[in-house]
This record gives sequence, C-alpha cells and structure tokens, in this order.
Amino acid sequence: MQFELMYRPAMTVAQLTLQQHESVTCEVGAMVAMSTGFHVETTSRKKGGKGGLLKGVKRMFSGESFFLNHFTSTEPGQKLIIGPSLLGDVMHHRLTGGSLIVQGSSWMASSTDIEIDSTWQGFGKALFSGESMFWVKCSGTGDLFLNSFGAIHEIDVQSEYVVDTGHIVAFEDTLQFRIGKAGQSLIGSFLGGEGLVCKFSGQGKLYVQSHNPPSFGQALGPKLKPR
Amino acid sequence: MIQFACPACQKQYTVGDEHAGKQANCQACGQAMLIPDAVPVAPLADDGPDFGSIAQQASQEASAAQAAAAANAKATSSETLTGSTENLGYEISQRPDFSMVKVDLPPGGKILAEPSVMMSMSPNINMVAGFRGGLGRTLGKMLGGESMITNTFTAESSGGEVLFASGAAGDVMYQRLNNQTMYLQRGAYMLCTEGIELTGKWQGAKGFFSGEGLVLLKASGTGDLFFNSYGAIMEIDVQDQFIVDTGYIVAFEESLQYNISVLPGLRAGGKIKSFFFGGEGLVARFSGSGKVWVQTRQVTSFLSWVHPFRPVKDKG
Repeated sequence: MQFELMYRPAMTVAQLTLQQHESVTCEVGAMVAMSTGFHVETTSRKKGGKGGLLKGVKRMFSGESFFLNHFTSTEPGQKLIIGPSLLGDVMHHRLTGGSLIVQGSSWMASSTDIEIDSTWQGFGKALFSGESMFWVKCSGTGDLFLNSFGAIHEIDVQSEYVVDTGHIVAFEDTLQFRIGKAGQSLIGSFLGGEGLVCKFSGQGKLYVQSHNPPSFGQALGPKLKPR
Repeated sequence: MIQFACPACQKQYTVGDEHAGKQANCQACGQAMLIPDAVPVAPLADDGPDFGSIAQQASQEASAAQAAAAANAKATSSETLTGSTENLGYEISQRPDFSMVKVDLPPGGKILAEPSVMMSMSPNINMVAGFRGGLGRTLGKMLGGESMITNTFTAESSGGEVLFASGAAGDVMYQRLNNQTMYLQRGAYMLCTEGIELTGKWQGAKGFFSGEGLVLLKASGTGDLFFNSYGAIMEIDVQDQFIVDTGYIVAFEESLQYNISVLPGLRAGGKIKSFFFGGEGLVARFSGSGKVWVQTRQVTSFLSWVHPFRPVKDKG
C-alpha cells in the first residue's frame, strides 16, 4: 500500500493506492472518493476474524461505529481517498508486531491484518475524568491511519511525560501510565480546568492532539439555539 | 534518464529521455505503464505559482507511481494559484484553509460576485448590486442554491483590485471556461466574469437521490469562474471512471456523465447491509473524461457533530 497525506494540517485527507487484492478497513463514512476497482464489504467485525456481533457491540461502546467498511482492490493501482469528518490532521503509523492504544474516535483506517480490539480497559477508572474516553488496541503488522482534532504532535517519551487525558491520540503500549491530578491538590487541578492527566513512563511514542473536541463543543454549545 | 516504478509491482526502471510519455508493459507483471516525463520530481513548495505549471508538476509527481491508475489528483499543495486572462489577473492565496482571491481588474474591467464575499477593494472600484439577466434566469440561479442578487464590481478610469473570501473556512478553485459548461454544487459559486451564464439545471430523479438538491448550478460560456467549498478542493482528472461520495462533490465538467449508485459490493448478491450500515450513503459514479472537484470536509458532518452540544430546550 502506498499513501499520501494531502492538505495538511486542517483539511487533511489520505490518498491510498492499493495493489490488486490488497484491502483496507475504514471507519464508516471515511470514504471521500475512490477508483471503481474496489469491492466493498460491510461487517460488524474484523474481516475474516471471529467475534462477530459481540465485538461489534463493544466497538460501538468504544466510540467507533458499529460497522466497518472493508475495501478490497480488485485491480492494480486503485485509489481510495479517505478523510475524517472534523477539521484536523491525519497521521500514519506503521505497526510492526507491537501494539498501539488509540483513543476511540481517532482511529480512521488500518490494514485488514491489524487486529482492532475495543475491549481494552487499561485505564479502568479513567471514566471518572468525564472526558468520555474509550480506547481501542491495535496490534499486528501493517499500516494504521489516525485522525485528530487539530494538529498532531509526536512525543518520543524517554522517561516521563504528562498529558491532559483529552489530548491523547495514541501511544505505544511499551509505555506505562497512571491517571493522576495535574496539580498538588485535587480541587486545584479541577479549578485549573485541567481535570485529570495521564502520567506516562518508560520508552515509546506518544501522539497528542492540539485541540480537544469536547472543549470546543462546550464552548460552542451555549451560544447555539436550544434544540 | 528517467527513473520510475511499475504502479502494480513496484519494479524499478531506468530508461532514456526519448521514451517519455510512451506506453510500456512491465517486464515483471505485465502491467501497462505510462513512462513519465524526464523532468526531475521536485517538491511543489519552492516553485513558481503559475497555475499551469502547478498542474503539470503535480501530474509529474503523481505519474511515476500512479501512471496506470484511473485518475490523478492534481494541485494537491497549499500553493498560491495565480494567472491572468484578458478579463483580469487573479491570485488565490492562503490555501487551502483560509483561501482568499485577489482579482486585479484593468480599467473598465468587471467581475460578478455572490453577495457578501467581498473582503476589501481599491477606492476606484464601483460596486452595484442588482439582478442579472431576466426573471427566469434569476429564479434558476436561486433554485441552484445561490442568491438572486449579483454584485457587480467595475474598475473605473484606472484599474484596481478586489479581494474576496467565502463565509466559511475552506478552499477556492479557479476554472477557465472556453465555450464550455460545468456544473456546481449548491452554494459553490463565488465569482465569475460576464461571459459566463449561470442557470439552475434540473437533475431529475438523480438529483433527488443524490442529496444535492434537485437543481445543480450550471455555468456555461467563455470566461473565468471561481468556486469555493468547506474543506480543501481536490481536482481529480477522470480518465475512465471514478466514484465520489455525493456529499463531497463540488463541481464537475459537462463532459462527464454520472449516475447515482451504491458502493460496489452491494450489487453482487444484493448485500443491502453495505448501503444501510456502511454509512457511505450514495455515491456518484462518474464516467467519461473530464475533471471533477471534490471537497475534503463536509459542513453537514460538522453540524451533526456540534448538535449534541446544543442546550436542550426547557419543555416545562
């Protein structure tokens, strides 16, 4: 698979060029335009995988759509153009056997060889942070396309790093983490608007986004007409 | 020497300059290939802002890897687009997020604009708001999702400049029509010169199902046309066939035929699931040869995202 990211960083789309019989799994609604040599299949699970309905339900809870679209190229050199729905950037991450933990709404597309597991519960009590965070664990070997709200910033964590929970896009599972408060006191942390932060340690890549969709939504909401 | 790779199996080839533009078959897999031009592939960002050369460079960049693909997306960069015609000179800068158009008018030159797109202008430009054409034409334009009012900017004695930008963040594209016709999505029209006629065009049942509204705006004649959209605008040169989600179409040339269908895969075996749950909705399958312009974001996606944040009306 070849790819090209265009119109970065605000209006980014990924143009994938697939060889014959290659296939890619996309978030529902991500397709913008494509060549005619594709076979499209909609499933509620990983292509060819097991788990069926139950995994689909879990995926729905994790903030991703219940169904996935699999695009399989039937001819050589077919193009598929995919993009997220909100303004923001797209990034590519090559997985080579390891795992990447991705924030639920940031996953956009991946090679069909990659296992997408939405049952990952590593953060446990993180739900208390009110950021409505859900996570998917992507593992295997292949290409992964993630989107963000705003720009994506890559951090190579060497020892320790602290990120606001709402700004995490993805991180390698070689990193350890714990949820904590930003300031010294819990009240101070919340008054400061930072809520809970995630403290990473170890070595690995961490991707953060410049903007946080719920913050933007909460800023806009009160100015709109009641529904 | 020209270096390129087979688009199907990635086998590398090096051939002499005299083979540029010729067809060949890959020795490894038999794939038909178009040998790219000899000009070295240069990054787009550093070079001159002439529109023609941008398209050329972009197509050269694309050609090495993707020559055999059905369509090549062009003008993919954030490059400033400039050019000049007998009517005006233009410069589209700040692409693709906050595109704005600067139009240089010669003495007596005119440009017609959609209301409220003017940003700033020289003091000697005279603006007149009014109806253009007869009643029928005005109504047709309104049906095409545009305002009934047209603002006419005329440069007096000496020339001057007018700057335009659209209401939402997004891209602006330029297209020159030489006695040609193209169709625009509702609301995509921005500016044109006098030689271009704008009318609503009934699309029949196709238009209804496409979700684009029943009427597309038809632009025809000879002159300069500027159109805009939310998101960046990709120019796709369709050679044979290409599929675009109906919600992302900005404009297309009359030389293309289209029909509205569902994604391939649904037809085989009638898997209705792809249609209802696939979320891609309906797609337009373009065929023939010509250009289609596609936007990279949709306003409707943003609106449906922001909807849950709206306050709930107090029913008590």
